[in-house]
Amino acid sequence: MATYVQQLLEGKIDFEGQKLVERISRDTLIAATAISFIAGFATQSLRVTFGLFALFVIVLSAAVIPPWPMYNRHPVKWLPVKESKAE
Amino acid sequence: MHTVYSRINNVSAMLSTCVMVLLAAISISSYFLVADPKGSIAVSSIQVFPGNARRYANKNQDFAFVNFNVTADLSPLFNWNTKQLFLYVSAEYENKRGVKNEVVIWDRIVRRKEDAQLSVAGRNKYAFRELSTSFKGAAPAHYTLKYNVMPYVGVLTYGEAARTADPVPFPERQELS
Repeated sequence: MATYVQQLLEGKIDFEGQKLVERISRDTLIAATAISFIAGFATQSLRVTFGLFALFVIVLSAAVIPPWPMYNRHPVKWLPVKESKAE
Repeated sequence: MHTVYSRINNVSAMLSTCVMVLLAAISISSYFLVADPKGSIAVSSIQVFPGNARRYANKNQDFAFVNFNVTADLSPLFNWNTKQLFLYVSAEYENKRGVKNEVVIWDRIVRRKEDAQLSVAGRNKYAFRELSTSFKGAAPAHYTLKYNVMPYVGVLTYGEAARTADPVPFPERQELS
């Protein structure tokens, strides 16, 4: 039980998943900055800018921080265990 | 990136950079949203009386009482990065000894665009007195309406919205009856 909770909190993902998360978070944040600036400038409202930006950040956090199964589709394949001589 | 904590760290690091860029972009955008609204100011009456400021109780000095009319539409100054406006009326004159003085006699804070249509018949809010105790011999004064735009992000900008066409001379001191 304790190990299960620990695994849930750690939320490990595989190497391909890490690459994907890195790309998604960087691209989304840059796009969010540009879009919220343009939208706020067009409507002449800082409330629109920061509301939209906050929305982007919340959605991004939900998409990227928990260890969703899509980030665990390429588990590392270990080599088979060698017969040890001691046996 | 392999655990929840490292992902939070990664996202928040990129987030702080993006917020800084966003704030810088907003403050730079103010330079492209320039407005130079003009209004008018006229002095309707000015009187000088002797008096005694409580702070300098042993000194009798002149107090000027100015009534003025101000009309201006400062709503163009409100853009997305304007928090509020600070408006002030100041008197600019040279006293007898040739010292240039600028005295703020009235001010107002405008928080909303709807309140930026200015039409005020006012009088000086703050005591208008001369440092050398007397307005005698002082050059005629120009009265100006100036504004200070306070943004949410960025630098304060100053401007002048109105100025009396001709300088207004100080009248002779009237004695209190």
